[in-house]
Amino acid sequence: MAAGSSSNVNENIPVFEYKDINTKPFHVGSFRTAWLEKLKPIDYSYEDKYEENEDADFAKEMGIAPETLDELKAICSVDTLRCQAEDEPLDTNVVPPDPTLQTLIQRKKKQDYKGTLRIDKISRVDHYQDELESLAVGKRPEDPVDLVPEGEIILSINVLYPAIFERFRYVRPHMTLQMLGSHSLVDLRDAICCISDLQVFGEFSNTPDMAPDFISKDHFKSAFFYFEGVFYNDMRHPECQDMSETTIDWAKTRDFPTFHKAKMEDTRFYDLKVKVGYPYLFCHQGDCEHVVIITDIRLAHKDDCLDRKLYPLLTHKHRVMTRKCAVCHVYIGRWLTTNDPFAPNDPCLFCERCFRMLHYDKKGNKLGQFLAYPYVDPGAFN
Amino acid sequence: MPNGKAKDRFLKPLVADYEELLGRFQQTESVRFEEFTAIWRNMGFSSVFYGSLAGNEMREFCHLTLTMAFNYFLPPYSFQIRVGGLYLLYGLYHTQLASPKEKIRIALKDWEQIQKFYQDSVNSQHYDAVYIIRKLIAENAVLYTAMPQMLTFRVKKKPQHHKVCEEFRDRPERVKDLISTDMLQEVANIQGHHERLKASVLERSSIAVTQQDLPARLHSCVLEFLHWQDRHENHGDADHLVYAEEKAQQVESSNRAQLLASIKTKSYGCLAEASRSRRHRQVEMDTSISGTGYIKQAPKYHKSRAPSLKARTNKNLCGEGDEQKIQYWLLSAAEEDKTALKRQKRKHSFRW
Repeated sequence: MAAGSSSNVNENIPVFEYKDINTKPFHVGSFRTAWLEKLKPIDYSYEDKYEENEDADFAKEMGIAPETLDELKAICSVDTLRCQAEDEPLDTNVVPPDPTLQTLIQRKKKQDYKGTLRIDKISRVDHYQDELESLAVGKRPEDPVDLVPEGEIILSINVLYPAIFERFRYVRPHMTLQMLGSHSLVDLRDAICCISDLQVFGEFSNTPDMAPDFISKDHFKSAFFYFEGVFYNDMRHPECQDMSETTIDWAKTRDFPTFHKAKMEDTRFYDLKVKVGYPYLFCHQGDCEHVVIITDIRLAHKDDCLDRKLYPLLTHKHRVMTRKCAVCHVYIGRWLTTNDPFAPNDPCLFCERCFRMLHYDKKGNKLGQFLAYPYVDPGAFN
Repeated sequence: MPNGKAKDRFLKPLVADYEELLGRFQQTESVRFEEFTAIWRNMGFSSVFYGSLAGNEMREFCHLTLTMAFNYFLPPYSFQIRVGGLYLLYGLYHTQLASPKEKIRIALKDWEQIQKFYQDSVNSQHYDAVYIIRKLIAENAVLYTAMPQMLTFRVKKKPQHHKVCEEFRDRPERVKDLISTDMLQEVANIQGHHERLKASVLERSSIAVTQQDLPARLHSCVLEFLHWQDRHENHGDADHLVYAEEKAQQVESSNRAQLLASIKTKSYGCLAEASRSRRHRQVEMDTSISGTGYIKQAPKYHKSRAPSLKARTNKNLCGEGDEQKIQYWLLSAAEEDKTALKRQKRKHSFRW
């Protein structure tokens, strides 16, 4: 009878909270066990299932004779789907003449339109869009210890770039990482490359040679993830502070459900309870916030990259334009100057050579009054 | 071009093609794979992947085909349509041109339904359906996922729900679900228990609060509904016979309809031109049905433009002086050829 289905068993099955947008929260590890219970190990293994064994099992289960089996195989083989004779040459780049399918009619219109163009520009961005994804497909490790075990969970995570400008909102620049379920959150943290980590703070017009000694990544190591009401703090190093403390205290004074804390390095993805497709937060450097969305969770497959050492795997990354020197427009900008009487605008970007040539004499003395800051180009990770 | 647009573009014609294929399959009234492949070959369905799709568009398109086809494999469609959906998935997986092949995504929440379907096929001894399911799993064509699609929290875009095709829907079994045999059994038990209690408490058991024959009446209601459903279905078939007789009359009326249609196309051949403020939305005649390979020509833009600022300045200040200058790029063009002066502008941009 339909009434009274046990809800506690089905909690681990992800369902939509809002259709096609995100799911209700579920525990990743239990999701994995739910799938593994329902499948036979051979279903998700990487090997090719031997055809004879498969056919023998099938015949036994259905109780049919070998001749029927052969006939069945012949009927259901892929050759029956072929639409033209074997010896006819086939050009899959051209729509066949007189198409009857709606899809082909639409495609033929586009093809005819392309024929009228004198110059056919292929967008380079579109062309190489999926190149990164296909780089690691099907890779096997040399050492079998590094093989991703069968039945392992692979998560696809989108980390959006911070500082989303109003007019760039229709395209959301992000990087997509693939992670294994057994990785911990610190692996994800280390894999996220953000230029704010490389920023060097401080004014260096008087000592231009001392600049590279301080990098923000080494100074401010604190970071946290926020998933489903729990703040996961990075506590690996003694100088890491608990950045979520402020938020939790603030929330206590308002009408919010209580938030919890946990350690990032102790939490693996299997222990997380998350919603798929729902935005969460990653905060580092005190105020650099990234939106994190888990787009997909699935079991590992033969055609995935199976080398543990290559994970976390970068499958997609938006490119950012690099800013060049205002003078030569050849080299990438390294110095930003303000209040500079030599510069055409305020602030102004210079490359190393132009900066030295303009602001310092041969002996290295500072000329004029200005403020200079080391600049990290946003396209540094392209 | 953002990825979302590709999906929107390809969606409608693809769904139209699927429904055509499955409609024909439904008419064969069988679940045999041979029937399906006959229709497949007839429609030349492998060619959905032909035509030069730009590099990454091919992979997206293959992914879209498999995702859309999977919808037909799940309830509320009838068993025959679901078998058709399964064959469709099998065909699309093997004829796709993306390499490595795009996989079929099965979400955990749909696994129960698929198992039920498998069990039904085994019980009804549909060997080809069973064989094909097993083959797909054995070939590693399946990805076991949490959700059928990748979700990126695109709230602003209206999510496109799959519209269930009404003709393929299964007969509703709501009455049978509500009043199942278990429930009838239980009601009968409770009735009996109530009667016994009543008899033991009262001497005269003439007071009857409940209906005496409730289980029997429920049962007969259900049966009546089922019979009515059957008759309603067959009534549809009877219509077909009547239709054949009326076809003779219809031929006559269709001739008249054709005449009307031809008059209409003639009158709609000249298009109303958009006003200048709506130049970007010029009306274009869609003659794609009449034959392929016909390139659309937008109507010529007749209205003369007001002279540009450069022309007006020239006229006011320089007079006719510039006519004497030699225009080097025109030396090879004929003197009467005015088109050499103007830059060739693209007459129309592509509309999907």
